[in-house]
Amino acid sequence: MSDYVLLTDSDDPSITAAVGQLESWSVQHVAVSQLTAPIEDASVRAVLVVTTDPTELRAATERAHATGIPVIIGCVDDTARRRAVELRAEEWYRIPATADEISARIHSAVSRGATIGAAMTDRVERVEYEEMLHDAMTGLPTLPVMIERSRALFKERGELVVLYLNFVRYSKIEEIYGWEKLDAVLETTSAAVREFLDDTAGPSNARLMVSFTNDDDFIFFHVPAAGVAAATESEITDMVARLQRHVAGRIEAQHGDDIAALFDIYVGRSHVYYNPKIRLERLIYRGIREAAKAARSIEERDRARRVADLRASLRERGVYIDYHPIVVTESQEIYGYEALARGVMRSLRSPEVMFDVAAEADLVWELSRLCRSRAIEGMDTHLQPGELLFLNVDPHDFNDPAFNEHEVKYPERVVIEITERTAIKDYPKFRERLRAFREAGFRFAVDDAGSGYAGLGSIANLEPNYIKLDISLINGIDTNFIKQNLVETMVKFANDHGAMVIAEGVERAEEFKAVKELGVHLVQGFFLHRPSRAPAAALTAVRR
Amino acid sequence: MQDTDLPPILVVDDNHDNAEIIRQYLEIRGYPITVAHNGDEALALFETVRPALVLLDVMMPGRDGWEVCRIMKQHPTLGKSVRIVMVTALGEWEDKREALQLGADDYVEKPFDLPTLATTVQRNLAMRSAMAS
Repeated sequence: MSDYVLLTDSDDPSITAAVGQLESWSVQHVAVSQLTAPIEDASVRAVLVVTTDPTELRAATERAHATGIPVIIGCVDDTARRRAVELRAEEWYRIPATADEISARIHSAVSRGATIGAAMTDRVERVEYEEMLHDAMTGLPTLPVMIERSRALFKERGELVVLYLNFVRYSKIEEIYGWEKLDAVLETTSAAVREFLDDTAGPSNARLMVSFTNDDDFIFFHVPAAGVAAATESEITDMVARLQRHVAGRIEAQHGDDIAALFDIYVGRSHVYYNPKIRLERLIYRGIREAAKAARSIEERDRARRVADLRASLRERGVYIDYHPIVVTESQEIYGYEALARGVMRSLRSPEVMFDVAAEADLVWELSRLCRSRAIEGMDTHLQPGELLFLNVDPHDFNDPAFNEHEVKYPERVVIEITERTAIKDYPKFRERLRAFREAGFRFAVDDAGSGYAGLGSIANLEPNYIKLDISLINGIDTNFIKQNLVETMVKFANDHGAMVIAEGVERAEEFKAVKELGVHLVQGFFLHRPSRAPAAALTAVRR
Repeated sequence: MQDTDLPPILVVDDNHDNAEIIRQYLEIRGYPITVAHNGDEALALFETVRPALVLLDVMMPGRDGWEVCRIMKQHPTLGKSVRIVMVTALGEWEDKREALQLGADDYVEKPFDLPTLATTVQRNLAMRSAMAS
């Protein structure tokens, strides 16, 4: 009485002989058409196919696999063997084969087939969980891995210092430049952190371990060496200051000072002592929470200081303007300048930081007024007659009664940039205000166009004269065909609507070439010019 | 044919007929092709095949193409070099934006003709070798 059945379309006697060698197996010879039909018989445990018709072979193999039955393919030539591999048959053999070989193939196919499902799940899970164990960008272990690694060491030494490094403005980088930029900055950061650890023995020759939380924070474990006291507060402060300088330097060198100005490290510290009554990972997690809280409270203190800095800046008109040239793509002639407001105080250098602080302190209108008047003041001294001034205006500024269409001497030389990122609440009223400005001679640009999922409809609503592409679409456009397609769509849309497209954030020759080929009208970016307070005449000399 | 040097391609499509048509068309052009019929299978084969390029159908039952794309692009060793081409019936702005967000390099709009597909494959492989050098 046989429990298991081998189904085959072959009448090769060696197959019959092979099955005869296997205990409790029998063979059933069928037409190939039966192999492609549903297999109802539950005692069928393997299928052996020899047909040379590729369609039938595929159908039979897939049918068997769909039922969870392993497949052995008998191959007459190399082409058939290749097919067998592609179809991922569990086993294959070359015809003619001995009964011994065939029975061995059946045996291994069945044992391998039994694990098909499980093995596949394993591999899927490995690929999926790999990213959870080691951060792909930084190459650093994630927290659970680090806890596992430090377990023994912590138990042995009895104490552990947790340092929580909160990199505050990193989320802003993603918002402005897109995730690819943030990834690149994080890569630089982790490389710098690792470099720093390699160069530094660490306080009191201790073990330092680092992990990354996948957001933008790093966690250090510092386990003091045996017989040595844990690092003191001042040693830690000193180390953190050096680390901060090191990381900032690297970021500035690789990504420019605009990005470097966006970032700050706040470090919180906690001390954890081993307690056999409490689960070790709980102790560590508590320590991390405490350290994170400490980092946050330092950050809050710092914010309060920045608000005070901002109030002082507003009193003393402590804002200056960098003018960033926008050039005609074809001729590379200067077309106009975007005004970039910067705080005179070091803590408020970055406009994003400055406006963040203003929003917290309800001083946005006041800061906007100062920035606008500074930018407009500079038109006479910094711009040639006929050159345009591109002025960033937050949609909320249109609600400020002090902001009106009579504010400027040459409205026809001013382009108001409105970001696509801010949601506009009262649309009819907003459009009415735009019309008043337009009638006074102002022009409009949609800033960060294409940053959202909204598409072109919302851009059309604003009837812009200029469409300024979101930086994330330009960053690496030369290697990404989807970005090229989106920019192409935007250029076509602009041409149809009598508008011009501006690519900002062009940093490399390849990016410049790509946007030029796509017909982008105007270009702004470090590849051509850096923002500068120098007058236009001096800038012209810098032009490539 | 000196086609043995062409890099491997992973074709992921839950529609067996589509997958088969693509496989045959690209195979004639000398590319070593492996086919997966769902997201899990694609991920399971990813490390074995080490594809230079993945043609990834978006609409699949279970783990869809977006998720597969995201996971593949985050693979610690293969993620950086693999080119991912999304195959999608949705050519709208938001879909392309979504594709960008998840790290895709290119897309082919359904229904596509095979020469377009071949051109897309070629330009992405060319870009991949240009970036490697």
